[in-house]
Amino acid sequence: MIESQIRAMFAQIADGEPASSRVDPQQAGRRGRARLRWRRACVAGTSGLAVAAAALAVVMGPARPGPGPAPAGPAAPRQFNPLVPYASFGWLPAGESLIEGGITPAESYMDAGQTGPEWTLAVYARGQCHLTDSASVLNCPGAKLPLSQRAPDVAGHRAFWTSPGLTWQYARGGWAQMTIPAPNLSAVLHNKDGLAGTALKIAAHVRYDATTRLIFAARLAGLPGQWQVHNISYYVPDGGRLSAEQYMLTTGRSRFHPHVGDEGVWTDAPYIIVRPAPAHGTCSPHDPSSQNTSEIINGYRVVVKRSHRGGLPVQELCGAHADGLWFDIQVFGAHPSIDVATLFKDHMRLLGTSPANWTTSPIG
Amino acid sequence: MSRGRDAEYTEYVAARLSSLRRLAAVLCDDWHRADDLVQATLTKLYVHWGRVQAATHPDAYARAVLVREFIHERRSAWVRRVSLSGEVAGPPTAATDQDVVLDLRAAVAALPARQRATLVLRFYCDLNVDQAAEILGCSPGTVKSQTARALEAVRRALGPAPAAGFGGRPAAGAEHQSYPGGAGND
Repeated sequence: MIESQIRAMFAQIADGEPASSRVDPQQAGRRGRARLRWRRACVAGTSGLAVAAAALAVVMGPARPGPGPAPAGPAAPRQFNPLVPYASFGWLPAGESLIEGGITPAESYMDAGQTGPEWTLAVYARGQCHLTDSASVLNCPGAKLPLSQRAPDVAGHRAFWTSPGLTWQYARGGWAQMTIPAPNLSAVLHNKDGLAGTALKIAAHVRYDATTRLIFAARLAGLPGQWQVHNISYYVPDGGRLSAEQYMLTTGRSRFHPHVGDEGVWTDAPYIIVRPAPAHGTCSPHDPSSQNTSEIINGYRVVVKRSHRGGLPVQELCGAHADGLWFDIQVFGAHPSIDVATLFKDHMRLLGTSPANWTTSPIG
Repeated sequence: MSRGRDAEYTEYVAARLSSLRRLAAVLCDDWHRADDLVQATLTKLYVHWGRVQAATHPDAYARAVLVREFIHERRSAWVRRVSLSGEVAGPPTAATDQDVVLDLRAAVAALPARQRATLVLRFYCDLNVDQAAEILGCSPGTVKSQTARALEAVRRALGPAPAAGFGGRPAAGAEHQSYPGGAGND
């Protein structure tokens, strides 16, 4: 029976599992978190760029008043500089540290923990979050946070418990939200190790208006003036510097398509990933889902891929071993301002693996 | 301290990574591609972790994500995959066991992605028609017909069984009749 032969063949393939694997669950988690953040940022920017959404929020004014003292001090920024994470952890439990984060014009977020992210902090620009009149819900871009009960003030500002997290108004018109590593709020409030107190202490020590700039392993030059960096995800390698890993460039003609893929995509907006090359990294040159050509550009072997996704043409250029870096550029849309090969050939310079040689100015 | 979402995700992936890799390898018939497929699957599982947790059978949900990702990736490569069938259409001339296995692998590899996935779910995962239909997002009848077509195509690619001699191929009708248990018995 051919079925039994097929069963035996499948079993034979499965039994040949090699010990070494290129699968990187941590990388998958990082990408997953970045996608969730990007989706949130993109939802906020469906009428144009998230920058425009942030500007619109200024017209709408600060968050509505709720119970408790609203901050009387300085206002939160209207939008964040994507090159400089606005917020940072000032204190974390022993053994825990910043792992990764990201920043958009509307939101600065970061994950901290010991081996994996435990505490996720999101700080929103002015006008991005709105408290309902009954103070029962805080509406933020892509998130509707039910407020369970008042929490002790955080640095003199009103705060609320969410499930399971803590949210507080860190400045006039600006809110921060932190998830707590617990299955629900009850587990936080009744935790014998003082989880609620730990959360309040972390929140009270968050620093705003940080000045540490991200560093980039590639520099782009000679681009039109309206091109800018947008939506950055960064990580913190052993050296402790905030290293940009994936980001998107908007070109002035970029448009968001919310129904393509899981999280929507921007057209005419290069998505760039640059990071130190993993030992077994590849560009999947034989990927049958795309038309692939292998080329040498600027001395680097790269794979240029063309495919379609959600009805949109996709150009992709990938290099697996470029002076120790792995990089990928992807552009959606039929007529990008600059195609990926030209962008890499004429405008992009890779800066090697040493962070000491990386730049804080990715464009220019 | 209670565990958070990321800790649960990490623990789940650590426990299931090997089985996901093996399933991906059986689908792709290539460990290199399999790792790419698993990597993409893990990212999706993270994005939809809430659904994984809410699922009655998280493993079935993860398997469905992987299989659908495989079909999605291969869909645009349909024509090139099918063109491989020309390489395996000839009957074996020296039927050692290893040759048969290689021919069988090539024949299954030449199937459209959905048909290959159907065979994998039925004959590697040992799922019944209803379970396979749920993962593939189609009706049980479609699973039956896909299985039948896949088996028919594989048998056609392999040619007649050695006991029947190596000369020529049986008629399509005869092939179909020789598989009464292939697709419709569940």
